[in-house]
Amino acid sequence: MIHDFLIYFLLIVLIYTIIVMSFNLAVGFTGLVNLGHMVFFGIGAYASALLALSGAPWYLAVPSSALIAALSGAIIAALTVRLKGDYFQIVTLGLVFIAVTLSRNWISLTRGALGLPGVPPIFKDSLHYMIFVMAVFALSVIFFYWLTNSGTGKIFQAIRDDETASSVLGKNTYFYKILSITISTFFAGLAGSLFVHYIKFVDPTIFDLEFFVLILSMLIAGGLASIQGSIAGVFTLGIFVELIRFIDRVPLLSTVLAQHPELIGASRTMVYSVIVIYLLIFRPRGIFGRVEV
Amino acid sequence: MILSLKNVSKTFGGVKAVNKCIFEVEENKITSLIGPNGAGKTTVFNIISGLAEPDSGIIRLGSKNITGLAAHKIAKSGISRTFQLTKVFRNLSVRDNMLIAKKASDDEIKRILKSIYFDKPLDTIASELSYGQQRLLELARALLMPHSLLMLDEPTAGVNPKIRQELKTILRNLRKEGKTVFLIEHDMEFVMDISDTVIVLNEGKVLKVGKPKEIVKDRKVLEAYLGK
Amino acid sequence: MPSILPQLIINGLIAGSIYALAAAGFALVYYVLKFQYFSHGAIMSIAAYSFFAFLNLMGMNYLFSGALTVIISILATLLTNFLIYNPLRKRRATSNIKLIVSVVLLIFATALLQAIFGSSTKSITLGQNKVFDFGTFTITSIQLSIIIIAIIIFLALWFILKKTRLGKAMRALADNKEVAQVVGISPEKIYTYTFIIAGMVAAVGGILLGLEQNLYPRMGIPIIVKGFVSSVVGGLGSVPGSIIGGLFIGLAENIGVLYFPTGYKDIISFVIMLLFLLLRPQGILGVKARDS
Repeated sequence: MIHDFLIYFLLIVLIYTIIVMSFNLAVGFTGLVNLGHMVFFGIGAYASALLALSGAPWYLAVPSSALIAALSGAIIAALTVRLKGDYFQIVTLGLVFIAVTLSRNWISLTRGALGLPGVPPIFKDSLHYMIFVMAVFALSVIFFYWLTNSGTGKIFQAIRDDETASSVLGKNTYFYKILSITISTFFAGLAGSLFVHYIKFVDPTIFDLEFFVLILSMLIAGGLASIQGSIAGVFTLGIFVELIRFIDRVPLLSTVLAQHPELIGASRTMVYSVIVIYLLIFRPRGIFGRVEV
Repeated sequence: MILSLKNVSKTFGGVKAVNKCIFEVEENKITSLIGPNGAGKTTVFNIISGLAEPDSGIIRLGSKNITGLAAHKIAKSGISRTFQLTKVFRNLSVRDNMLIAKKASDDEIKRILKSIYFDKPLDTIASELSYGQQRLLELARALLMPHSLLMLDEPTAGVNPKIRQELKTILRNLRKEGKTVFLIEHDMEFVMDISDTVIVLNEGKVLKVGKPKEIVKDRKVLEAYLGK
Repeated sequence: MPSILPQLIINGLIAGSIYALAAAGFALVYYVLKFQYFSHGAIMSIAAYSFFAFLNLMGMNYLFSGALTVIISILATLLTNFLIYNPLRKRRATSNIKLIVSVVLLIFATALLQAIFGSSTKSITLGQNKVFDFGTFTITSIQLSIIIIAIIIFLALWFILKKTRLGKAMRALADNKEVAQVVGISPEKIYTYTFIIAGMVAAVGGILLGLEQNLYPRMGIPIIVKGFVSSVVGGLGSVPGSIIGGLFIGLAENIGVLYFPTGYKDIISFVIMLLFLLLRPQGILGVKARDS
């Protein structure tokens, strides 16, 4: 039981960390507040589920779904990163609702609200899967450290700090912003694929704003423009949020919760909403953050 | 002649910010663009560096037509510039600020910083520098980027008198090295002291081009500044 | 002309009136406080549930329930300002941060409503609902009142913004905060009034929404999304524009049913929004941003 929970916890945390690091690349390192980031996680999950269900082996399904997410990201970035002021956030937030509508109504592809069950696992045994995910996680961490310290990573950060100055120093900011979103959405899609192969099911609730706010609170808690921050943010908030699962074991509360099981989910959401708002007011730079956007 | 503008115009919301502007900047000289507030000086700079697109007219850098090119392409063609309100990359170190302009060794970076009397460690984060030092860092960054023309928008604004004197030396040294400098400046003493040529802009039009001595004596220029 | 068109137009006006109320609150706060106020949807959902609780759970009459709902909505709005938006302004948080907070508040409200009222849907029952049959279309007495009440709110907003000292102060503040302060306008005071008005608009919008559809904890999300789309289409930061945008989106969605499957209703509004962003980013009534 404890063993199973530990594996579950680590798997979720490792996958979330990949999402949060990729989210940080766009928001923290490049200054692109992509409120539709979880759409690409969902695209990765759906693409992987569909490929795997139609018989594609995992070593084809996983990378292709990440590439599909990256391609969608590149196309959307090409259309939107030039938008001025708040319009980039507006359009990317709009993507979430387009994704919800499409996944609910494109029934021939997504089976609508019924979702896609029975996604085959990569490994029969969840321990082996965890080791596999840990390897992907480790490679992702190394990649993000390398990228954010590379010349390209510095250009992303220069664009975040001052786009005009970057352009008069000869940097094609349009290209670099698309590049950042493409890499960011690639990893979001990868995480989505790993996620769906674990929980073996995907439906339109993957695009729910609650999920997005959870990821956002992990990003902010850890701190913008910091890879170790993203890792720390997911682990600390992850432990906290997962512990709330056990409030039904607390005497007194257990009788109430037995009658109203939906209170568990609601209280989880309320707790991390309050955490993220508190942090944004009092500790906007999070644990390791260096910048604000 | 390294830079030439022919009949360049730009309208903002019905107001002609730049109106059939014609002038040239000569190689290996210090040229200053002066004029009262709202004369369109910064707009001219923005048009040249590709941050604003002219409604009409032709801009050439050497023999190359750069009219309407994207800012980063103009930068790569050889125009390096600074801004009136300093634009450093706040969260990046001095070194990283410089590296955005060009891949360079620490020695090369230090040499440039030293030539403009900037003496903070390379690992200092830009937002921790004083305003005057941020301006110097921006200048150093513009110098490091490969260029044939250096454009400075009010380099003396907001810097202390010591740095202001140093700037004169810096600009003269640049000219000695064969560089071309084109600047916007409000400080007349500064302009008259270092410029080879002065261009006076008023209401988006070139009012007068000449040597500093000719400019100070010109009645039209005085009227433009004092109002009629 | 398809014979159902008149009915679709009426349905569009009903939906559009509610969208316009969502959009008007969103636009008012965007206009004066310069951030995207998604928690307007949270207040609307709280208002719908409050009205339901007073009217159907506690058995009060509808006028009294309505009045209490307005008070609760204003208090909730002021509370978010006092606890959250004001501290964020004090530390000079960017509009990105305020936008994120307002989205988080929207999620918080869904969880709060779920905890209090449960996740099953509820519906408000309000006396006799007469159906008027005009031959080509029908409209119920509740739907008729939705349109009338919405029009009254629009006129009141127009009056406040154009004819009162408060409206002038808001416009001055929206135009240039520093200049407004110099002429003696206290921004914080005006912000408080702005939130009071937004709270009132949310109360009315929430009640009307609750009368038109079922209540469920997440109801604040889709309505404020429609409000925000309407506001973009009408011209971001223009209150009259947002109202026109709301009616426009309501009509477009309902008339669109003739051409698209109903499930894609939500996509219609986004496609319209994207077209506006690409072709006319200033919206229907917005002023083109100056290029500089």
